[in-house]
Amino acid sequence: MSILRLLASRILLSALTLLIVSVLIFLILEALPGDIATRILGRDATAKALEVLRSQLHLDQPPLTRYFHWLGNLLHGDFGASLATGRPIADVLGPRIVNTLLLSLFAFALYLVLALVPAIIQATNRGKAVDNVISVITLVLLSLPDFLLATILLFLFAVAIPILPALATVSENSTWPEMLRAMILPATTLAIMMAVYAIRVLRDSLIEVLRSDYVRLAELKGLRPAAVLWRHALPNALVPALNVTALNLGFLIGGVVIVERVFSYPGFGTLLIDALQLRDIPLIKATVMISAAVYVAANLVADICAVLLQPRLRTR
Amino acid sequence: MTAIVSRPARSLHGWHTTPGPFKAGAVILGVHLLFAIVGVFWTPYGYAEMGAGLPLSGTSWQHPMGLDQIGRDVFSRFMYGAHIVLLLSFAGTVLGMVTGAAIGLISGYVGGWLDDILQRVVEAMISIPFLALALVMIIAAGPALAGQPALIIVVVAIVYAPRITRIARAAAMEVATREYVAAAELRGEGTLSVVFREILPNTANVLLVEFSLRLSYAPILIGALGFLGFGIRPPTPEWGLMISENRNLLIASPMTVFGPGLGLASLVIGFNLFTDGLSRMLGQRPVMGA
Amino acid sequence: MKPLIEVRNLGIAYGRPGSWTSVVQGVSFDFARGEAFGLVGESGCGKSTVAYRLLGYGTVNSLAQTGEVLFDGVDLLKLDARSLARLRGNRIALVPQNPTTSLSPGMRVGAQIREMITTHRALPAGMTMERRLAELFTLVGLPDVGHRYPHELSGGQQQRVTIAMAVSCNPDLLVLDEPTTGLDVTTQRQIIQLLQSLRSSIGMAMLYVTHDLALLSQIADRVGVMYAGQLVEIAPCDALLSAPVHPYSRGLIASIPTIDGASSGRGLRGMLRRDQIPSGCKFEPRCDFAKADCKGTPQTLEPVGKERAVACMRWKDIEPAAAELTRAARSPQPDTEVGAVLSVEDLALSYQSPSVLRTFLGKADSIVARDISFELKPGEVVALVGESGSGKSTIARAISGRLQPRSGGIHLDGNALAPVLRRRSVEQLRQIQYIFQNPDASLNPRRRIRSILERPLRHFGIKSDGETLETVLESVGLHAGYLNRFPEQLSGGERQRIAIARALLVNPKLLICDEILSALDVSVQSRIVELLQSLKKQHSVAMLFISHDLAVVQQLADKVAVLYRGELLQMADTATLLESPLHPYTQILLEAAPGLRKDQYVSRSPATPGETSTGGQGCPLAGRCHRQIGKICAESRPPVRSTETGFIRCHIPGSQLVRGNELAAA
Repeated sequence: MSILRLLASRILLSALTLLIVSVLIFLILEALPGDIATRILGRDATAKALEVLRSQLHLDQPPLTRYFHWLGNLLHGDFGASLATGRPIADVLGPRIVNTLLLSLFAFALYLVLALVPAIIQATNRGKAVDNVISVITLVLLSLPDFLLATILLFLFAVAIPILPALATVSENSTWPEMLRAMILPATTLAIMMAVYAIRVLRDSLIEVLRSDYVRLAELKGLRPAAVLWRHALPNALVPALNVTALNLGFLIGGVVIVERVFSYPGFGTLLIDALQLRDIPLIKATVMISAAVYVAANLVADICAVLLQPRLRTR
Repeated sequence: MTAIVSRPARSLHGWHTTPGPFKAGAVILGVHLLFAIVGVFWTPYGYAEMGAGLPLSGTSWQHPMGLDQIGRDVFSRFMYGAHIVLLLSFAGTVLGMVTGAAIGLISGYVGGWLDDILQRVVEAMISIPFLALALVMIIAAGPALAGQPALIIVVVAIVYAPRITRIARAAAMEVATREYVAAAELRGEGTLSVVFREILPNTANVLLVEFSLRLSYAPILIGALGFLGFGIRPPTPEWGLMISENRNLLIASPMTVFGPGLGLASLVIGFNLFTDGLSRMLGQRPVMGA
Repeated sequence: MKPLIEVRNLGIAYGRPGSWTSVVQGVSFDFARGEAFGLVGESGCGKSTVAYRLLGYGTVNSLAQTGEVLFDGVDLLKLDARSLARLRGNRIALVPQNPTTSLSPGMRVGAQIREMITTHRALPAGMTMERRLAELFTLVGLPDVGHRYPHELSGGQQQRVTIAMAVSCNPDLLVLDEPTTGLDVTTQRQIIQLLQSLRSSIGMAMLYVTHDLALLSQIADRVGVMYAGQLVEIAPCDALLSAPVHPYSRGLIASIPTIDGASSGRGLRGMLRRDQIPSGCKFEPRCDFAKADCKGTPQTLEPVGKERAVACMRWKDIEPAAAELTRAARSPQPDTEVGAVLSVEDLALSYQSPSVLRTFLGKADSIVARDISFELKPGEVVALVGESGSGKSTIARAISGRLQPRSGGIHLDGNALAPVLRRRSVEQLRQIQYIFQNPDASLNPRRRIRSILERPLRHFGIKSDGETLETVLESVGLHAGYLNRFPEQLSGGERQRIAIARALLVNPKLLICDEILSALDVSVQSRIVELLQSLKKQHSVAMLFISHDLAVVQQLADKVAVLYRGELLQMADTATLLESPLHPYTQILLEAAPGLRKDQYVSRSPATPGETSTGGQGCPLAGRCHRQIGKICAESRPPVRSTETGFIRCHIPGSQLVRGNELAAA
């Protein structure tokens, strides 16, 4: 009962957050003072071109009307038409989202392994050489900008030792092995970038849990070390890591922008950059809304997982 | 949530008692600072000087990072770019910090509907991936402002402010339950007096670590904007922009890319080590995540 | 008979290789199968460190440097991890200090017990796991809670679960690490009774670690007193309590407040400072009987009479502890004609949810106190007593203005006080001063003591000169040297003194003391009580003294108001209340107070909370009252009757109440 209510209130809050996101995006893109058309086309644009753009964006209508019109369509799943191509945005988005989803799933699977294994090794060998070595590696990787890490991996595995393709160009005709091979480098970049954050948090929380009273009692009950780790320590240590994972999913959406660009992967991220470069306002609004929705949904899932892992939260 | 509120700092002096990471970080940052200052006044060649040597001729003693496609000396550009990266990062983070901390502390202490509303807006701003938010704001600013340092600073501040607000708010809420805050309220002290006399000093550790953490990430964020072509306007040599410009030379002359890359990475490593040491000294654990 | 546990010359150090700091030295004791051995001492004396070694356990940064711990002849310090795991839980089990943090939060409690039985294959032949669990729960007096998560149980229930778990494999030895410290006095008593009955039914040996001597008297056969890592006295429990030999034991026993106000000798002075331990007798700096050569001569346990040993070379010279009776100094009865400083009428309190959003999500508020009425005269000390959660502090919050009452009025000097803090005048704020429970949190750690004390002076515009602060520090027993320190550099007791000084500095009419002793060590407590007694005489300030500790209340208060679940059940003169408690709940409270009146110890099991009345209807005590007279108790509000010195709220007619009291006393 209470868990359903908790769920309902979280979903309601998420919806509210997305509503505010839509207001913010609209305010930033369309309600700033000054003429939008001039801002898009630049000061040298002809009066005619400006006029065409204004009518395309319905700038003759008051902002409030435009906002509710856009929101109404959004709720029906209608993102409008792209300014640059005139095609319905939903059609443009579809295949790109599928590509990015595949990439993200691959990256996420890698992430779980890359985060869990080092963290457990570190926490159970606290203060020893392994712990320190992993800490240093994590710190260095944490300090590498994603575009640099992507470039380094590309240089290493596509230029210096050419075993993988430098460009992850895939199309509808690509076969599965081709797709996977193309995705190895971008997915690895994303997974490493996410994992370095999670490793530190997971290591610290695992160490804290290993010091807790209930882990000590579990040891003093005479349980085997493996049982103590898997049954008592890990489930409780995962909770802070879950929050990081949710944050990481938010990062993933931003990260794909960079990584797809470096490897020319035809996904959602490259679409966003294209839209920004072409100042394709409807497409920008749609892509940003979708990325915010993904982030909010990821947080919702993380919240629910946290409740499942920590029964204590249920009655709050 | 873990306890993130300040314990009183142990005495900060005594170089040999400070944690190793802090020292290493401070040394790296010191070198960067020195390098940046020298770069403002002297570089081997002009940063926009074309034909400093044969384009694509690779690395040599004259050109330790090689030359770019139009024959500019990459090392000179790298040197001149150092102070730009540092200044933009610092200014953006400070601006974001001041706004975020002020809003967060007051909101967390006052609570009520003001807090409810602010929290929702902060939540919404954080929901937009920060890179997307930054890019959208740059587009919205229009071509006239694009590429201006001031715009980059404001964008960094706006991206950071809600995240800092959240941390400051949580810290303020925890400190607000302390009885010395209740004691001040019972004396009839005003909101600002309580926030700045009682709460701020006791959240200083959290905020300091948060500042350091945000500062570490600023060069990456600014670099990413430059890399994608939405950052500082060329030919000003911001490092992310240089990496992007020279990516075509990756095979012919890798140092044109990895030179600036190394600079960026070492700067961030310096910041991260510094943050690590600082948080250890202040008894804090840095709050992770983008 | 061969002892079950033999600890020989145990020495333990903390630190890391190269820099070990010795914390336990030369500890030796033994006890037999079925015997209960108590280990007592102030916090930090090393008693828990020793106790955990009986499970073969030490933290990563500790090292057993010397000695051996023999369990049934096997040295636990030399066993490998695998053999230890076979013993732990199976033959030696632990009841931890804090059940709330010791039960795995994500696992049902039944599963946690089952896990232990499965690991040690300890299921009795021919019994199913389900039946064994049910049997264990019955044994510890719990309903079948196996499917519950730890957080769904109360602290007392959680401790019963850990006890059930500890006995689930029928161990030979139970190590109990302060098992009742975090619990209510009444729950504490129930747990002690449970342990007593388990001991007689199962017959295992116990090592009971606590700082509470009074509690040990109810369970232990023999007691070892520890000070600064050494055993200073070992004696049968009764002998120790009636005639302690070591000066430290004497001080420890004298520090226990008693209802009768009787105390044997003076309490402990000073506190254990690790940096001031002499090479000889470690207790020398705090010892009233120390001579010059004590400082340099190490003390060892020497047998003194039967079953008794003490580590003090001067024990023979010290006179046997003389029981000197000192009544608490009580101020002359305040004149009844004088108007009240504070009067509270029909106060009802609830925690309102401040957030619009939360109200929107349907979180209702609940009443935490109702029908609260009482008065304080100038210079009078009224104590508000009750179990934790009874609403004591909530009432204090409302009076101080930090919580807006739902209804009712609060008057200061006859003038109505605004319900909201911000509407009260600066003058009114000055007249009511509040001292908080936790001295660690009531002083801003970032400011020096000088700044902490100056702030209220400046805020209220009180004229002061250089000596004002020094004078007030002196009056709370500190000196001017403290002005430049940070709170962190002060001990808990000193911080509480600063908090008291801060309150007195502005000449308040009313002092609200919210559990100000409960965060302090016993020895520190008794000295703060002395301070409050003297301040009460000097300043003639009225005090609302909130406490759960009747013994302290007895020393300080003129009147006592008894609170239960947000309702005042009785109010009377302190002496009257303690001598003839009348109200059933007051009787429960008095009986539950450990060590107060050992001679009058009533071994009636207190009724466990069962069917209760819903809020606002009936008597809050219904379902827990041992003198419940029928349905009326649960269904209608009990009437308020005035008594000679206060009032009483109960359905039982006055005459019967008095008779019940005589029965209990007989």
